[in-house]
Amino acid sequence: MAALQRSIRLQQAVRASQLSSRHFSNSARRLAANTVQSSPNEPPAAQPGESQMIRQEGAAEARPRHEPDYNVAVDYRTSTFSPIPKRVMDGSEPGDTTPAAVLSGAPVDLQARTVRIFRPTKTATQSGDWHSHAWQMDWDPLPKGHRWENPLIGWQSSADFMQGERISFKSKDDAIRFAEKQGYEYFVQEPNERRFVPKAYANNFLHSAKPLKKIPTK
Amino acid sequence: MINPTYLAQRTRSSVNWTDAKSRVLKSYREWLRAAPEIQTQYTLNVPVSTIRTKMRQEFERHRYVAQLPAVDVLLFHSHAEYQETMNFWKQITHVLKYFRAEEDPKARLPNNFVNGFLEARN
Repeated sequence: MAALQRSIRLQQAVRASQLSSRHFSNSARRLAANTVQSSPNEPPAAQPGESQMIRQEGAAEARPRHEPDYNVAVDYRTSTFSPIPKRVMDGSEPGDTTPAAVLSGAPVDLQARTVRIFRPTKTATQSGDWHSHAWQMDWDPLPKGHRWENPLIGWQSSADFMQGERISFKSKDDAIRFAEKQGYEYFVQEPNERRFVPKAYANNFLHSAKPLKKIPTK
Repeated sequence: MINPTYLAQRTRSSVNWTDAKSRVLKSYREWLRAAPEIQTQYTLNVPVSTIRTKMRQEFERHRYVAQLPAVDVLLFHSHAEYQETMNFWKQITHVLKYFRAEEDPKARLPNNFVNGFLEARN
C-alpha cells in the first residue's frame, strides 16, 4: 500500500518536473521532484517538503511589518515598561550582517525601540563646531516610564536604561551598520549643512547694464 | 602542569554544517542528561520535564540561524552555561531566570492590542 502510494507520488512528481522544467528555477524543480539535496556547506534552513508549517514566503508577505508582534519570544528582562517589538532578529536573515542581536545577549526590548542616527548641531551661542563632527546614536524616550519623581527624596527615577546612552561613530555608514547588526529600528536625521555665499565688497561697485539687484548675503 | 577546570572545552570552529549539527545535538543531549542533576543541585521546585522543555525551547529559539560563525558562538555560549551550571558556579536566581516568563505574570507581553491597551503600557 505504501509502495503503491510512493510510486503514484513519484509519477506525479516526475510529470510535474517534466512540465515545469523549462520555466521554473532549481528550487521549484527540486520541490516538484520531492528530492532535497543539501550539502554540508549550506545552512539546514527550511527545506521545502511536505510539511505545511515550513513554506516559502511570498512577495506580498515579505513587506515590512509596522504592527507590533505580540507573539515574540520574550527574555527574562521583560517588564511592564517593555515596548512590543515589530520584528526580532533570529539569525535567519539573508545577507552578511552578523546577527549580533542574537549573539550579544542584549535585552529583546532594545529591538522594539527606535534609534536616531544624527550629527549633533553646532552650539548656537558659539562659532566653533568641535562637537558636531562625529555621528551619534540616540534612543527615543519611552512613552511610559521615561521619568518620574521618586517619592522618597524627589529625585528623578527612570525605567529607561538607555536614556543617557549616546554612542558616537566616525561615519554615518558605521552607525547604520551597527543599528542593522543589533536589530534596532533606526532612522537617520540628516545634518543641516550651513550655506555660505562667497562675497566680495568690490562687487558692489561693478557696472551693470541691467537694473541693480539685491545680492542676498544671508 | 595546569589542570583545566572540569568541563572546560578548547575553542573550535565548526568545519561545515554537518559538523555544527553534530555539535549541537551533542550539546543538546548533554543538557537533557543533566536535567535531573540540575533539579537536585539547585533544589528547583519544577519537574524535570519542565526543565527539559525549557532546554528544548532555548535550542529551538536559534533553529534557523543561517551563518556558521553565529552557530559557533551560540555553541560556545551553550557550553559555557553548561559548565557554569554543572560546576555549581551559578545561584538559584541565575537558573530561575530561564523560568521567569512562566513564574512571573509581569514578565510577559500582552497577547493582543486590547490587552496591551488595558494594561496602559508602552
